[in-house]
Amino acid sequence: MAKSDAAAFLPLKANWFHVLLSLAGQEQHGYGIMQEVLERTDGKVRLWPATLYGSLKRLIEEGLIAESEERPAAELDDARRRYYKLTRLGREVLDLESERLEELVRVIHRKREQEAYE
Amino acid sequence: MNPWVRICVALYRRLARAFPHEFRMIYGEDMERLGEDAAPEIFHRHGFLGLVRLLADIAVRLPAEYLSELRQDAVYAVRRLNKQRGFAAVGVISLALAVGICIVFFAQVKGMMFRSLPGARDSEALAGTQRAISYPLFERFRQQGNVTASATAFIGPVPFGIAVDEATSKAERVFGHLVSPEYFETLGVTPRAGRFFRAEIEKPGSDPVVVISERFWRAHLHADAGAVGRTLRVNGHQAQIIGIGPEGFLGVYPINPADIFVPVTAEPSVAPELSQDILRNRELARFRVVLRLGEGVTLPEAEAALDIVARNFELEKPDPHRDQKGRQVRLVSAGGMMPLSAEQRTMLFGVNGFLLGTILLLACANLATLLLARTHERQKETAIRLAAGASRFRLVRGLVTESVILSLAGSLLGLVFAVWLLDVSRSLALAGQSAQMVQPDYSIDLWTLLFALGVAVLAGLGFGLAPALAAVRVDLVPALKEGAVTSLRAYRRFGLRNQFVVFQVASALTMLLVSGYVVIGYQKSTGFDPGFDASDMYLFSLDPARDGYSATESAALLERLPQRLLDLPRVQAISLVERPPFGDPVIQTNTRVSVGKEENGGEEVVHSIAKLRAGAGYFAALRVPLVDGREFTDRDQRLESASSQSPRTEIPVVLNETAARQIFGAGNPLDRRIREEKETYFVIGVVKDVKFAFMAAKPAATIFLPLTAENFNRGSALGTTVVLRGSGPDIMAEVRREMGVTDPRLTILSARTMGEQLRQFDSLIRWTTVMNGSLGVFSLILAAIGLAGVTAHTVLRRRKEIGIRIALGARRGQVLRLVLKEGAALVVVGSALGFAGAYGLTRAFSAYTAELAQIFDTGTGDPMLLIGAPLLLAGLTFLACYFPARRSTRIDPVAALRE
Repeated sequence: MAKSDAAAFLPLKANWFHVLLSLAGQEQHGYGIMQEVLERTDGKVRLWPATLYGSLKRLIEEGLIAESEERPAAELDDARRRYYKLTRLGREVLDLESERLEELVRVIHRKREQEAYE
Repeated sequence: MNPWVRICVALYRRLARAFPHEFRMIYGEDMERLGEDAAPEIFHRHGFLGLVRLLADIAVRLPAEYLSELRQDAVYAVRRLNKQRGFAAVGVISLALAVGICIVFFAQVKGMMFRSLPGARDSEALAGTQRAISYPLFERFRQQGNVTASATAFIGPVPFGIAVDEATSKAERVFGHLVSPEYFETLGVTPRAGRFFRAEIEKPGSDPVVVISERFWRAHLHADAGAVGRTLRVNGHQAQIIGIGPEGFLGVYPINPADIFVPVTAEPSVAPELSQDILRNRELARFRVVLRLGEGVTLPEAEAALDIVARNFELEKPDPHRDQKGRQVRLVSAGGMMPLSAEQRTMLFGVNGFLLGTILLLACANLATLLLARTHERQKETAIRLAAGASRFRLVRGLVTESVILSLAGSLLGLVFAVWLLDVSRSLALAGQSAQMVQPDYSIDLWTLLFALGVAVLAGLGFGLAPALAAVRVDLVPALKEGAVTSLRAYRRFGLRNQFVVFQVASALTMLLVSGYVVIGYQKSTGFDPGFDASDMYLFSLDPARDGYSATESAALLERLPQRLLDLPRVQAISLVERPPFGDPVIQTNTRVSVGKEENGGEEVVHSIAKLRAGAGYFAALRVPLVDGREFTDRDQRLESASSQSPRTEIPVVLNETAARQIFGAGNPLDRRIREEKETYFVIGVVKDVKFAFMAAKPAATIFLPLTAENFNRGSALGTTVVLRGSGPDIMAEVRREMGVTDPRLTILSARTMGEQLRQFDSLIRWTTVMNGSLGVFSLILAAIGLAGVTAHTVLRRRKEIGIRIALGARRGQVLRLVLKEGAALVVVGSALGFAGAYGLTRAFSAYTAELAQIFDTGTGDPMLLIGAPLLLAGLTFLACYFPARRSTRIDPVAALRE
């Protein structure tokens, strides 16, 4: 997949970024994604259910995530729920976006240092 | 569980289930459960507001999800239409034609009927009397302060002879209103410059003043900044301009615009309409009244109140035989372009709306047939989507989206078409009656755009819905099998669809043929026979009163003018007449005459008859032969002017043959008596019938009265016409020179040859024919589309049969013939009916007027039409059938056989 394809998604919407980030580690169902985002942000960011599923639908249409065929270990599995995973394109987009954000943070730091120096 | 949470979850669930079918199929259950699971935790963490937020979130997503589906549908529909460009083009064009016509109609109705009075304030509160009333009665109306805020009376449109520059310019004819001083105040008009009339200043005997329109100011005074205070010569009298109206204001009822406003208090010599002491005369109902309704007063209330006033007024009259039945006063809205009662508005709008709705419906129905055949072709795709779990609703919506997009494109093109049509009609209106008519505001505005959009959506739904519903009603199992044709309705020879197509072909052909006959017949016969010798005839009009002639002066002019002109070497004959032959067909005076008791054995018989005043030697000048008796002489011209003092004197009249037959049957009409109201006439002569209007039914029964000095002086709106017979191209120049010497004040109006006058009729007729012809072509296109739909349906229905035939070795041509046969049968039946209809119509018209009979005689035999029309029809219908039929030859026999 060409790099420009992934670059076309930047800057990524905040919701999408959170969803992709949650799926970066493992496959997840909707509830899991919501919980993880909540925990990761200390309860500051909540993906409300309809928004979450709207985003999931768009992400699937855009090919950034896909429904997963594999199921987790039987005792953890909730058979009625759909699980989602990152696609290769999704991972690329996530990487690119992370780089972009890091770059931003670096710019901010440099600016601060300069100000402190003066 | 907390009751708030419980309510929230219930609501949430309800909303989640309202999501689009496809979304629910995949995410619905998860989303529902996520909400249920998260709700207690959200309540715990965020409290009540959290629950609200949860619901708000899903409520916002719901329409967004539907919109995104719609976008998908639209993208898909455009892609699909792009694949079927031929079909899309046919749909767009036929809809564009229909929608364009509808928009033109809408714009015209809006521009003429629903446009408020330009320049007026609060024009909805204006009401006008339907009939003219006398000035004394108007003064009573004016006092009814309880129902009217103010009221005005006016006479108009009235022609004025206006000269701008005293020394150089000749008088021009300008139409205006004679108005009571309250006119502008009642209409709520503010002057652009100067002032308007005031009751306390405009009194009988005060200096003559005039108000002009802004249009007049621009056209005739070159927008002179110092125009107020200048003087104009109005009907030969000096009058000072005291004010200029606001832009766009052309008087009340501007369908007949007024450029000059003269107060009714002016001297009768300024405007002959004001003679006979008209401001105090209770008998002369000449004034139209416009009133501004009082605060909160409705039109019916005002009508009732004024009706009582009018009744009381009538009762004061000495004549006890006054007819008092029914309403005396009827009010109509006066805030528009013309006086229209509510019923008239509904009528006009209803009838035309119905007609145009029918056109639109036809176009839609035809497209529906075409579309129906196509949806059957897509049966398999539909079946697969259904089997894969698509909802029927969604599929229908997708198909309807396609047709709505098609009709939106059609409307857009229709809008362009309408703009062009309006442009054409505007330029035609300009060429036709430039000065007389107000420029109608046929602009396309926001409302028209909304209307077009509405029509588009309605049409799209109209022709898309039925085929779409039919499309999703497929049987899944057979449809999914290879190349199946399922549940197509059996062919019905006399089915509604076939009847419909036959009807369309027939009516289109009838319309085309009849207009073709008229066009060709007309071109061949180089006009028509007016019934008199029209060569070497010249016409011009005079209106001495409006050139400032007094009654005595114009009487003298009438005496000497014919002789002076006859003295010119090349003038052979001359006469005067009230209206020119073949003038405006709308202006015709009809009256009721009766043959008295002494004439008809005790019984009084009333006849309705046309009335025309003609001068001495009129029939000789026209070379219309006399059948019996004599025609008017100079003595007759003088006669009535003397008799106006004693109205009981008998007046000589001439009848045409039709009138003589109608009134006296086979008997000799000479010296018999005829009564009209208080007057008694005696017949001095009978002339041959002459047509004075084209397309009128057989020569109208006409009674001719002598044109007298009084008629000559009062003059109609068009003046009195002088009919002149002579030779030589520059004869009019001679006449002008002669009259310039004898009567330099006199204006010669609208000089033309009789040939030119007749040609004006030509253009009118040609315009009508072109309109009918294009309507015929349009309906032919519609019929062709209908036919194409039927043929496409045939191909589908006989798919298997055709496959077998091809497999057995049928050739391409044979297959084509097979399919075209059905379409051809419809065309043949339709054409036969069309020819019969055209024949019947020409017969009916021929019976109605002799001119048309003559035209049809030459027109119907024309080889171009006899061969051309069926050829055109055959060609068009063949094309309409051919394209869908061609598909039949592409049927894969293997696939068809496997079904």
